[in-house]
Amino acid sequence: MAAVTLTNVVKRFGSFEVVHGANIDIADGEFVVFVGPSGCGKSTLLRMIAGLEDISGGDIAIGGKVMNDVEAADRGIAMVFQSYALYPHMTVEQNLSFGLRMNGNPKADTDRRVKRAAEILRIDELMQRRPKQLSGGQRQRVAIGRAIVREPQVFLFDEPLSNLDAELRVQMRVEISRLHKELGVTMIYVTHDQTEAMTLADRIVVLKAGNVEQIGAPLDLYDDPANRFVAGFIGSPKMNFLSAKVVDTSNSAAIIELVNHGGARLRKPLRDAFPAIGAEIVLGVRPEHFFEAGEGDCDIPVKADVAEHLGSVSYVYANSGPEELIVEREASRQRASGDHFTVSIKAERSLLFDKAGARIR
Amino acid sequence: MRTQNATAYRFLTPYLLIFAIFWIWPIISSFIISFQATRTVPWRFAPAFNWGRLIGDPAFYNALKNTLLILVIQVPVMIALAIVMAVLLNSPLLKARGLYRFAFFAPVVVGEVAYSAVFRLMFSLDFGIVNKLLDSIGLPKVDWFSNVTPAMALIMIAVTWRWAGYNAIIILAGLQSIPEDVYEAATLDRVSRVKQFFHITLPLLKPVIVFCAVLSIIGTMQLFTEPFLITERGGPGGGTETLGLLLYRQGFRSLNFGYASAVAYTMAGLAITITLVQLWLMREPK
Repeated sequence: MAAVTLTNVVKRFGSFEVVHGANIDIADGEFVVFVGPSGCGKSTLLRMIAGLEDISGGDIAIGGKVMNDVEAADRGIAMVFQSYALYPHMTVEQNLSFGLRMNGNPKADTDRRVKRAAEILRIDELMQRRPKQLSGGQRQRVAIGRAIVREPQVFLFDEPLSNLDAELRVQMRVEISRLHKELGVTMIYVTHDQTEAMTLADRIVVLKAGNVEQIGAPLDLYDDPANRFVAGFIGSPKMNFLSAKVVDTSNSAAIIELVNHGGARLRKPLRDAFPAIGAEIVLGVRPEHFFEAGEGDCDIPVKADVAEHLGSVSYVYANSGPEELIVEREASRQRASGDHFTVSIKAERSLLFDKAGARIR
Repeated sequence: MRTQNATAYRFLTPYLLIFAIFWIWPIISSFIISFQATRTVPWRFAPAFNWGRLIGDPAFYNALKNTLLILVIQVPVMIALAIVMAVLLNSPLLKARGLYRFAFFAPVVVGEVAYSAVFRLMFSLDFGIVNKLLDSIGLPKVDWFSNVTPAMALIMIAVTWRWAGYNAIIILAGLQSIPEDVYEAATLDRVSRVKQFFHITLPLLKPVIVFCAVLSIIGTMQLFTEPFLITERGGPGGGTETLGLLLYRQGFRSLNFGYASAVAYTMAGLAITITLVQLWLMREPK
């Protein structure tokens, strides 16, 4: 087991910089998820930790030892690939034992490790099959098994569930979570799926265009995002962003006007910063933070466009002027499309962002 | 559905007719001819005439021996060379890859007569560059065309030069279909490059290599151009005569169509047998 520390890590492909000085501390035994949209550098960061990509700048340390120039095989890591990367011509058993056999590991120890991995992942009955005779979920188990037999200090997962169907993904998510508890080793997991990040992580690292936007526990990121990008990326359905303008500031609060909602006004208490009067800002409201008319600090009338009923909750896609709002409703209060209704915003359940996307607290 | 099929077959009829007349019929006809004595007029049915002669004909055994010798030595050497060339072509360190790919493939495009003439010049006893090179490093000159062993070696060199690049391009396509992350997984497993080649690359290339080997076996069984043009009709003294050349000599020089047909069927039978044995040996485990 080992802690992983990234200090000012930079990656350039030619003159093009894709990771701009990442600083991340991962504690021993922690489950950390790198999340972000395609091209944000999360997989590149993981591959640099694995030793499959060179580091253009900064340091990567595993277990307190700088690994920049250490061969991938000597870093004490194991990696599970998105495409599983199983050896197609070998049986499951051969896939699991290949690395150990090639390195002259004693047969008894190899057998013990393979057996243990097979038991943990419940793949004992598949040992003589080849990858093409396995389902996607089974292949993923074998890929994880191959990582387990290495008995690594750090597990790296590169979007391991993205090739599975929705149901299997949920099942494997639980398995990986269980595995982390069982093995207690450090795990770094890359995904673009914020649901995976929220459900698996001890801490989430949100990346955008090669920059670390925020690091924190899932609910901290959800409740207290550092900027508009994190606020929009974490949470499903995503946060609503309403264009607004500051019309007054007084008594530790700003009075803002929602420009696309008939000039509705909201008094938002602020702690640190006061934007100038007339400044264009953005008000963020999560779908579940719209209340019934009169319950909040500011009412806005909307028209239901489409309603999605999921059973326990319903999502109403409401049109009000040029901005579409997603409103979560309990199933019993569902709305049909075409309904006119009023939603209410509470100041304490909304967030403010400046025009550049930085949070105003 | 049936109407659709009928329409499709009507469209196919011109092709099928030509195919039947110029492909199917000659195949059947030569099989029949192989059981006929064709040096009498009219031809007469005599099953033992050609096939019996074949079994006892030293020229046939000489041609068979030469063909199999080329097959056994040249095909494995060429396939091994093609694999090495493909791996080099696939290397990320290689510059001007397109140029090399073209250069390796070019021999197939060159006309057979032209390349044979150049080979004859290059290996000429007195003027050839090969003997000049041997001479310059203090080795004795080789009379490539007058002795059997050098002449056989020359045939094998020529065939290898002509077809190794072609096979390398096919194997390169196979190499490029192996996903990169399989190698990355092996690198993380601390498997050396050499072991990766023998334990991952070669097994995954097996279907492509078998395909190349089958093509090469069929090609070598029919080998004709090189012994005809380079070593002058299987010379010296029939030392490089192949089954293809024997067939030509019997069929089109002696006009002994019955015997030539028997030789042709023997060649086809051998090619099929060797290919089937090879496919069986290289079959995928269940």
